[in-house]
Amino acid sequence: MAKKFSAPLERTARLLDLVPYISSHQGISLKELAAVFKVDQAQMTSDLTTLWMCGLPGYTPLELMDLEFESGFVTIHNAQTLSRPRAISFDEGVALVLGLDLLRSSISPDRTDLLERIDLLLVRLAELINLPTALSATPLVNQEVSEAISDALKSRMGLEITYQSLYRDEISTRTILPIAISERDGHVYLSSYCFKASDFRQFRLERIQNAVLKTVPQEIPQSSIEQSSYICTIKVLTPTRAIAERFKRDDLSINTEFDFQTYSLQWIERSIMASGRALCLKSPPDVRKSIATMAQTMLERYKAG
Amino acid sequence: MSRKIERLINLTIALLATKRYLTKTEIFNSVEGYDGTAETKERMFERDKDDLRSLGIEIEVGTFDPLFNDEAGYKIKQEKYQFELGDISPTEVSLLSLAAQAWQEASFGDVAQRALLKLRSIGIPSDELSIPATVHKLNDGGQDLSLMTKAIAQKQCLSFAYLDPGLKINSRSIVPIALSTRDGYWYLSGVDQEIQEIRTFRVDRISGAITVSKGPKDFETPTGFDSNRTLLESPTHEFALIDVRMGKAASLRALAVSSQSLGEWDQIKVPILNLESLCSIVLWHGPDAFVQEPPELRNLIIEHLEALVDNHG
Repeated sequence: MAKKFSAPLERTARLLDLVPYISSHQGISLKELAAVFKVDQAQMTSDLTTLWMCGLPGYTPLELMDLEFESGFVTIHNAQTLSRPRAISFDEGVALVLGLDLLRSSISPDRTDLLERIDLLLVRLAELINLPTALSATPLVNQEVSEAISDALKSRMGLEITYQSLYRDEISTRTILPIAISERDGHVYLSSYCFKASDFRQFRLERIQNAVLKTVPQEIPQSSIEQSSYICTIKVLTPTRAIAERFKRDDLSINTEFDFQTYSLQWIERSIMASGRALCLKSPPDVRKSIATMAQTMLERYKAG
Repeated sequence: MSRKIERLINLTIALLATKRYLTKTEIFNSVEGYDGTAETKERMFERDKDDLRSLGIEIEVGTFDPLFNDEAGYKIKQEKYQFELGDISPTEVSLLSLAAQAWQEASFGDVAQRALLKLRSIGIPSDELSIPATVHKLNDGGQDLSLMTKAIAQKQCLSFAYLDPGLKINSRSIVPIALSTRDGYWYLSGVDQEIQEIRTFRVDRISGAITVSKGPKDFETPTGFDSNRTLLESPTHEFALIDVRMGKAASLRALAVSSQSLGEWDQIKVPILNLESLCSIVLWHGPDAFVQEPPELRNLIIEHLEALVDNHG
């Protein structure tokens, strides 16, 4: 992770960064300054007192930095030497380069003026931190979709979305009321009330192909239908990475048997099919049977042609 | 403690303000805070230099007179100390601020915050609202982006244990050349030192810690590599011909390079990046997808189907 400095070094860095910040925000309140630098006001007062003692050799009032923080507002004079912000560190440059690359894809292609500036900034930053342009970031959804989602969330509007459901293998149109963006297991979801399902649903952000604002009733039905879930028993015949990632298990070996809860029998059926010879579904029996029948039918077709 | 901090700041100011190199004697005589015996001062100064360097402040060492082997002197170059982005406009500051905000909830967020603070200290007003863009979020998922990017910049060698498709742990050593994020995953590409070819790894599949070592001396970054296009562990140039039912098999269609209508069915052409994983996607779609070519893929599918029938019959 980002490098952590010892306490005195951390503080030295903060003091060096305080000078240019105050220089460009003369008269800032002590409270705000403490908040910007994420320390309490007592610490900030102590930082400012320390800075007061610093300056050019000679250390007469002429050479010392001139700080005033009377009645809670801070100004600084005579600090030319330190008044420009410090060079960005390698990590800071990396954060900006990746952030800019991500930003580029959310800007409309006809704003060539902004896109050109981003490209120029990327080149300048890469030079500053001496890193070849080797970093890239792509957003989960395109610009129109993300704009519509954030508008809907801000104005509490509904959305009509085109959504690709993987386990149903269909693209459906649904009217939803988005509630929040949440993250689980490294995936980003849009938690919403879905008027088609008359229930709350989580939509994987990257599978929303299209989204337009739509007026919807703000009243969400109180009692939503209880979603039924199923317990499956699965036996591992060949441990594979695909299985470990699909079922989120890191304890797989040959003949491991585990139970898995799912809200969709279709999902489990497809997951077993996709795992081929590596898995065996022990229960529920009707899904077992349906897998056997499906595999048999497909096999006959392959053998025929 | 606060005396040490004062001394570090005063040393920084003195070395920044000077036009010529300052000798140690001059520093000890003029910069506040160097007390004690000559030896103590010497030790203090050595430590201070190291501390400033670790904060990213470069101290230049030079001599006054190139003709004489004089006592060494020290100074900090303004242009190296300062954030130098050249002439920068309010729009550019706004773009950079938005870029830093992408990290808001990630653990790399602290780093981005510090960058944002420096941007705000330039003293150029920014107006992020004037830029018609949504801020997408970046998440480092707890990955050590700093270590990986540093290795790219310094052409270091990274060694790690990687989970192969059979869940076996593979030792890999690469000289990384690119890092990218897509669909919420981080991908690290580099030249595999064993086979001397470019491979791309999904960072969350690295098991345990990454070891950094010195890279090969004569390493040259391959040119023409596009991390947006090459997110594969083993690239090939083969294609499969697959019949898919109309309106179905969306995730297979997404991989296709071409599609031809056959009435009730479409025939699509899909690049084979990995035979096993393509086989798995085809099987996911059950009777809605049927492989015509190549025979290796058909045979693999038949083997899996036979096992499925045996195991569930």
